[in-house]
Amino acid sequence: MRKKARYVNEDLCTGCGSCAEKCPTPAVDTFNTGIGQRKAIYKYFAQGIPSVFTIDAPSCRQLGQGKKCGVCAKTCQAKAIDFEQKDRMVEIEAGAIVMATGYDVFDPSVIPEYGYGRIKNVVTALEFERLLSASGPTAGHLDRPSELTLEKEIEETGKEVRKLSARIKQLEEKQGKTSDEVISQVKAGASDEPLVEWAKQAESLAEMQAALAAMNRKMAAATTAKKLAFIQCVGSRDFRFNRYCSSYCCMHSVKEAMIANEHDREVHSSIFCMDLRAVGRGFEEYKLRGGQQANIEYIRGRVAEITEDEAKNPVVWFESTTERHVKSEVFDMVVLAAACVPSAGTARLAQLAGVELDTNGFVKTDPLMPLATTRPGIFVCGCAQGPMDIPESVAQASSAAACAAEAVIGAQITLKATA
Amino acid sequence: MAEQIRIGVFVCNCGSNIAGYLDVKALAEYAKILPHVVFVRENLYTCSENGINEIKAAIKEQGLNRVVVASCTPRTHEPLFRGTCAEAGLNPYLFEMVNIRDQCSWVHMQEKEKGTTKAKDLIRMGVAKAALLKPQEPIQSEMDPRALVIGGGIAGMTAAMALGNRGYEVTLIEKSGELGGLLLKLDKLAPSGADAVAVARKQADLVRRHPNIHLLLSTHIDEVNGYIGHFQVSASTNGSKTQFGTGVIVVATGARVFRPAGLYGYDGEKVITQLELEEVFKSGAFAAKNVVMIQCVGARNDERKYCSRICCMVAIKNAIEIKEKSPETGVKVLYRDIQAYGTENEALLQRAKELGVIFIKYDPARPPRVEAGKVIVHHDLLGREIELPQDLVVLSTPLVAGEDNEAISKLLRVSLDANKFFLEGHVKLKPLDFATDGIYLCGNAHYPATVREAVSQALGAASRASIPLSKGVMSVEPIVSTLVDEDACRGCGLCVALCPYGALEIVRGEKGRKVRVIPVACKGCGICAATCYHHALSVNSYSDAQIGEQIRAFLEESA
Amino acid sequence: MQYTTDVRLIRLMCTGRVDPTMVAEAFIEGADGIMVVGCHFGDCHYISGNYQARVKMGLASRALGYVGLNAARVAFKQCSSAEGDRFVSHVTTFHDSICEIGPLGSAEKLPLPKLKDRVDTARAALASEKLRWVEGKFTEFQNNGNKYGEKFTEHEMWRTLDTIVIDEIATHGILKEMRKGAASVIELAERLEIAPPAALKYVLALQRRGLVGLAGVDGATPSYRLVERPAKAA
Repeated sequence: MRKKARYVNEDLCTGCGSCAEKCPTPAVDTFNTGIGQRKAIYKYFAQGIPSVFTIDAPSCRQLGQGKKCGVCAKTCQAKAIDFEQKDRMVEIEAGAIVMATGYDVFDPSVIPEYGYGRIKNVVTALEFERLLSASGPTAGHLDRPSELTLEKEIEETGKEVRKLSARIKQLEEKQGKTSDEVISQVKAGASDEPLVEWAKQAESLAEMQAALAAMNRKMAAATTAKKLAFIQCVGSRDFRFNRYCSSYCCMHSVKEAMIANEHDREVHSSIFCMDLRAVGRGFEEYKLRGGQQANIEYIRGRVAEITEDEAKNPVVWFESTTERHVKSEVFDMVVLAAACVPSAGTARLAQLAGVELDTNGFVKTDPLMPLATTRPGIFVCGCAQGPMDIPESVAQASSAAACAAEAVIGAQITLKATA
Repeated sequence: MAEQIRIGVFVCNCGSNIAGYLDVKALAEYAKILPHVVFVRENLYTCSENGINEIKAAIKEQGLNRVVVASCTPRTHEPLFRGTCAEAGLNPYLFEMVNIRDQCSWVHMQEKEKGTTKAKDLIRMGVAKAALLKPQEPIQSEMDPRALVIGGGIAGMTAAMALGNRGYEVTLIEKSGELGGLLLKLDKLAPSGADAVAVARKQADLVRRHPNIHLLLSTHIDEVNGYIGHFQVSASTNGSKTQFGTGVIVVATGARVFRPAGLYGYDGEKVITQLELEEVFKSGAFAAKNVVMIQCVGARNDERKYCSRICCMVAIKNAIEIKEKSPETGVKVLYRDIQAYGTENEALLQRAKELGVIFIKYDPARPPRVEAGKVIVHHDLLGREIELPQDLVVLSTPLVAGEDNEAISKLLRVSLDANKFFLEGHVKLKPLDFATDGIYLCGNAHYPATVREAVSQALGAASRASIPLSKGVMSVEPIVSTLVDEDACRGCGLCVALCPYGALEIVRGEKGRKVRVIPVACKGCGICAATCYHHALSVNSYSDAQIGEQIRAFLEESA
Repeated sequence: MQYTTDVRLIRLMCTGRVDPTMVAEAFIEGADGIMVVGCHFGDCHYISGNYQARVKMGLASRALGYVGLNAARVAFKQCSSAEGDRFVSHVTTFHDSICEIGPLGSAEKLPLPKLKDRVDTARAALASEKLRWVEGKFTEFQNNGNKYGEKFTEHEMWRTLDTIVIDEIATHGILKEMRKGAASVIELAERLEIAPPAALKYVLALQRRGLVGLAGVDGATPSYRLVERPAKAA
């Protein structure tokens, strides 16, 4: 096994976070599904265990870009930063192996008609989860990605405007005339190169200021998302991608719709599904409560296409099975319940471990020996075996531990000859 | 003679995490004037090797008998400092931690003066509490290394086998005269196609021949007393009583199939349940030409709100079986949502569709009507009622909680949910444990489950049960409830009724009815201590006096 | 993530540990506000501690309200260990509301010693056996019903608790006054600011329990006193 270098000595790091505070290099926050930023030295998420920081080498000025930096090393009073750390090879001897390598989220951008990646306000359930989270990038407010982008644009344009207006102001002070005068001079035929350039810049500043004002007006008019659509079976129960049902998505959509409504009672959610699979303890009751108390509407039907209107609102096109015609409806945001797919490394790991996969690419098991893989002594639990929810994964983890324990320390049993 | 209290206070800079925002020097100076404080030290990192060594040295050289560390959070560092005290020969529960980082310097970064004042108060409060701390000894209790499994269905047998294979002595109690449970009534299992009775019989044979499994058929449990590691069980087999001890209990009591009396003209012959259909399969008497199956009969309604999870798959499995036996027989499934969750189930649904099984969604507001020779149902897509010919109607009915669940829940003092299924300790993190230590659950006793799920849960429950069994001796943190004033206790039992862990009991002794704490079962929440109107109970390290002293210490200067 | 420096924290394993009398004691010591923060409902680390705490804190707030303390000085809030922002928001909101109410006594328009004396009466009431039983059984009666299977609504439970709180506060007020010496019902009613017939009812109830006895008759007005009880009560 390769243990990757984290460039921080785990024994010395106290998890205090001074390094991340002082680190000058921003990087994309992968935990928050790319919404928001973190630093190049980071902890994947606040409650992570062990509570130790890691340097994201490609993003780091010193490690990745070869520049001189070392701010973190200077800040760290525990002397835990170690730029010289290397990947290590670790060898372990084991009597049994448990595979618990989880799953990946299906990439919905391969379904062009849903517009994921193209339409800003179409997000995956996992991205939506981060938006909803009180400790997420929007502190739990349902700010739409289009507005988050607009916010960034306003910030950048504002910076440009400030830069340019400073330059022009300097010119005005130095030359002792106003930009308006220069513009009229140029219009009147002045062809002096610096003057033309000045006029050009002044005009583009005016344009930028107008654009900024328009953006600010738009921003001021924007509200948080109130009307949500949840689309089920995105990449699951779909013959083009995965035939299987991803099992947990119905409930996470209901949950997200519930939480969104708890956060803001005005939020209305439409859940588009073929079947709503609420099969665990209390799930059906929860689903009903959502309908009665949390403004959730369950609509039977497969969504055909998502388009975008001028206000960046996603428009959902679907066939209403109860009304029997094609309808479209405008939403503030669309949340895609993207399928659970085998994690990227599953095939390679299965090959290394010598275990078979099923036709879907998950680790194959026998229905009557649900934790055993095709190779004795190797067991599998959780979504590596197929999509399942948290309680089932947790229960399976215990089961896999039982199987592994029996393989390693089981007693020698001689069955009695007859009953 | 009361011991003289000598408190040492260690104030941590946490690099600049604390020192950058608070006046740590002032804090250390302040700590020196607090009552009972005889030693103060400021550290760059109290948790570093240097800091730890300083604590140890001070305990020895200064004769400290209480240690207070003002630093980060007990969540991460309390075990370390407790260990440090223990290594220096001081009882680890004479240690108190004051959080001046997460709850002070980090949240008052721009207010050095006020933040420092707050930190002084926090230290004063910690010192005040420390003065009242009492040494505690870890609670240890011998484990009876035997296990009891209640229920001889596939889940119970699997759990018993798993524990037996690990070398533990297991008693398996089944109330009927036969092992196998619900499987005995089924025909085939999906998706394996295995014969259910054969699967049950094979497992039953292994159980019977297992040298570590003691099988008690036709047996009822009369009484269960005790707690994890020390349960005492009384059971009766056909009137003869037995008593034995066990360390852990696995509940695998299964569930029953709902009988739809009065629904859709159920008569057991022309309108039957899925379970009865399987009996027909087994007897080889299946001859219907047009079968209509109706889902959610007696489920997902006002009376029984829950979805029984497995009935859709039972219907799909049986529909496939009909099509495989008799391809010309028409099979229509009237459903509300097809619960074919996961990979295998969805594949079976597709297989059924390929074989020509027709699925028609119905609206519970307009349920199907069963009439002579036909079923009438409103078809959403067509927007009108359609008639389906039938010579056999099969009703898919939910699993309902076992009839003994209430009795067993009382015997074991564990909870049931609104539908009388057994309720796990935590819906996400402890799906196989009860809230009460030492008791575990699996299979249909918990909630309807497929055979695959029941087997997986049974192995998991066995795994959970094997954790205390493998230890031999239970050791528990002594932050638990204690009867501090036996005379004050009047044995009213309110605390017993409120304890979420069954960690209290009323016993009759020389002084009459008194409460007794079962320390290994107690988690130290303190509900009992906060409820006892005679203050007979208290929680170690969180006593009324200790908390009260913190409150007084906080307010003494501002008052 | 910053919040007011006016707050001091006391760590407990579970909010279920907070005895309502601790809340009263903190006000007697001079606190301006008390907030108890624990797990979200349904997510209690100790299964049911926060449900117990909900009732206990509600009761403390009501009982203290009856004796004249501003009931908004007691708050019970939920946030998980992963919700720092939520904690900050709870603290900030609570701090703002306490600032608005003002220091102990000012909002209550009562001199501090008098207010504290009344809070002390509420403290005694909060320790009473009857209240403890109803408060302990609150959630059970709501969800599963009493032993006859009768379920009670939240409203009904609080109404019951309110009645007991009022009775207990009056009863403990009378006992406290009598510790100062014998008194007539009229005098007691005046001192406790309750109606004389109500005062009489409480005095007679105390007499039946053997806690209070006739001290003498002054003209037509009987006066009552505490009954000395053997040191060790049954």
